[in-house]
Amino acid sequence: MAWQRPNCIVNAVPTAHLASHWRLQTRSLLGSRRRISPFSTSSRRDATEVQPAPEIDLSRFFASPARIIPSSPAYFSGSPRYIDHLLHLEHILAKYASLPTVAPNEAPRMAWFKLAQFRDFVGENVPTRKYKSLIKILQRLNRIDPGLVPDEVRQALKSFLRPGNPYANKPAPAVVDELGRSRGRGKRKEASAVVSLVEGEGGVMVNGKNILQAFPRIHDRESALWALRCTRRLDKYNVWATVKGGGVTGQAEAVTLATARALLVHEPILKPVLRQAGVITVDARRVERKKPGHVKARKMPTWVKR
Amino acid sequence: MASHFCYGCLLRLRQMPRVYSMLPGPLVTAPFHTTPPRPANPMARKSRSLEGPPKYRESKSARMRKRKPVERSRPPAVGERKALRKRIVLSNTNALEVPGMQDLSEETMLDSRLRGSVVGLPLPMLNQLLAVQAFKPTQGWSIFRRPGTVLRRETLEMGRLVNRIGEEKGKVFKKIITGVRGSGKSVYLLQAMAMGFLKNWIVVTVPEPQDLVIAHTAYGTLPGSNPVQYVQNAATAALLSRTAIANKEVLSGLHISQNHEGLKSLLQPNMTLEDLARLGVQTPSIAWPVFQALWAELAATEAAGNADIGKPFKPRPPMLVTVDGLSHWMTNSRYRSAEYEPIHAHDLVFVNHFLSLLQPTTSKPTLPNGGLLLYATSASNNPTIYSFDIALKQIIASQNGIDPSSPDFPRLDPYAKIDERVLNLFNNHARSTETGEFEVRSLGGLTTDEARGLLEHFACSGLLREKVTEELVGEKWSLAGGGIIGEMERIARRLRAIV
Repeated sequence: MAWQRPNCIVNAVPTAHLASHWRLQTRSLLGSRRRISPFSTSSRRDATEVQPAPEIDLSRFFASPARIIPSSPAYFSGSPRYIDHLLHLEHILAKYASLPTVAPNEAPRMAWFKLAQFRDFVGENVPTRKYKSLIKILQRLNRIDPGLVPDEVRQALKSFLRPGNPYANKPAPAVVDELGRSRGRGKRKEASAVVSLVEGEGGVMVNGKNILQAFPRIHDRESALWALRCTRRLDKYNVWATVKGGGVTGQAEAVTLATARALLVHEPILKPVLRQAGVITVDARRVERKKPGHVKARKMPTWVKR
Repeated sequence: MASHFCYGCLLRLRQMPRVYSMLPGPLVTAPFHTTPPRPANPMARKSRSLEGPPKYRESKSARMRKRKPVERSRPPAVGERKALRKRIVLSNTNALEVPGMQDLSEETMLDSRLRGSVVGLPLPMLNQLLAVQAFKPTQGWSIFRRPGTVLRRETLEMGRLVNRIGEEKGKVFKKIITGVRGSGKSVYLLQAMAMGFLKNWIVVTVPEPQDLVIAHTAYGTLPGSNPVQYVQNAATAALLSRTAIANKEVLSGLHISQNHEGLKSLLQPNMTLEDLARLGVQTPSIAWPVFQALWAELAATEAAGNADIGKPFKPRPPMLVTVDGLSHWMTNSRYRSAEYEPIHAHDLVFVNHFLSLLQPTTSKPTLPNGGLLLYATSASNNPTIYSFDIALKQIIASQNGIDPSSPDFPRLDPYAKIDERVLNLFNNHARSTETGEFEVRSLGGLTTDEARGLLEHFACSGLLREKVTEELVGEKWSLAGGGIIGEMERIARRLRAIV
């Protein structure tokens, strides 16, 4: 990634200086031109003699500028405060671009402002695209090796965090209990399952029944045990599942999710394999509600001519 | 007609030049095809739906048109569908022959080293097994080159039991076989029959007890019975026929030795038992007295003193009696009495005869020549009968050493409808803990070693195209609910492409 050196801030002051100087000169030119305008009927024309502006004392320019200049060089852009933040971050990034970084999944998890909060924070109606580009820079800064993060970066990042730390109170990591059981819960459709997983030789009980009685279809049995099957652990654990609600397919897939979570307690290293197998991701879809005027959730009544 | 589509070269996928039938000259054809391409006729009308611009200001609703009566071919003849449904195929020439498969014999049925391997049923015996209707159409015999069964632990136990009955004269064992669906109860009975035939026993089977109580065969009152009992002559004749055909060799070597009062005019002194059975098959109206006579002959230990016998008495072999689907006999039948009251299944003499064999009798042994009674329940075609279920539970509890007075002993639900006749049938068994001769045996799943043998058999037959590893066996074993053999078969027969 090529980071451009933010020249704007560095050059802001000289530019402002030059600009004001140029404007002053222009004004004096205009003034002189007005004086010779033939259309003017003002009686002041001859009476008042415009004095030439005194020479600008550049040594005291910052204490008393020739005219009031905005604090932000981006004052005349649409969103000056956003640009200020952006430039500030870009400046920091350019400064510390050479620091070593870590992989995105190893960087500390940060709760950045969401779009609405960011708009409140900045006080401007920042478009989504600009917000996203700023978040990108924040994420890049966040990837700097946590051991080497300069204080300046830390302070800058901190100002963009949501108040209160949403990621602070993590649930206690699940552990295998004293009887060797691990517990996992899973939901799918209307079904919810609780699975106790214990080391064994492949016995499976669902609601106190053999899995054959619970899931007569082979497909359902395979999907219920998919987490163990794709990791080749089917003959190494015994499954005791309790599942409620929903239909047969929903129950089977709820057991899948619960088994995967219980298996992760025994063997956390299997997480990438299980994610690849698609048993970590929660399927949060539920039945869409029926709407008035519709026959079902989306189906409209048949069009009738008369 | 041959397809134009050549699967080998996919020539049809090439962009063909448009050919109109009006154009003169030969068609452009691929040089190495024998089938000429047939271009579509451009003059033919296109289908109605695509014709013309979309229609507006016209009704789009469907018009009702008179439908012409459709010519339908004749339905299959009466009984043809059932024959197709009940057809039993025991061989499949597409399946590979399994090398080194042993046959069931008197040695292999005792050999515990063969545990978990699939042994074939001896080919000469298949006709006998077919005669006693040992095979069921749902059992999947048709996917292998020749029928074979797994020697599981229970089978080897039964082999030892059969051996013991042969050695100890007059020993009788009675078993009720239970288990979940697909756990191999019917095949267990089949293995018992095969062992019986190997040992030259008399094998008597009731393959479909349901047929006796659903009012599909004729019935009539038994003359001189009080309370009234009912006899089913056609079903009895079928039973005699099964027994006579399957046990032809043994029965033709045995001769009449008893007095049979009712049949005196029909019997000759040196008649074989096979002839006796045939008598009942030919004249179904006397099938029941003939069956009673046959049973008395088979239960005889010596010739009756006053009987006129042509041949010397030969000792009778032990008997194997199997009934597959016991619970149908534990409720009212579909038959009606003259008062149009439902007839209890126990009032049918046929049923009553086989159920009375289960009773522990102290005065007279059930089978004086010894034998094995195997009564299996069914899990797929199974009426729910509370009295029978609780009776079985009580028997199992007393088998496990639970005292009938203890709170763990299964109690009758005071609000349930109880069939006293069913409870009384098993009462003596439930209350007594002695005698290992009667037991309720529950069949479960195979062990992983046995499952491995089964899967190897599938692989050797060319059905399972995967390497049979420890992992695969464990996986299928778990998916089959802990090695339930019927499920193992369902899983293993699903063909998989080689990855």
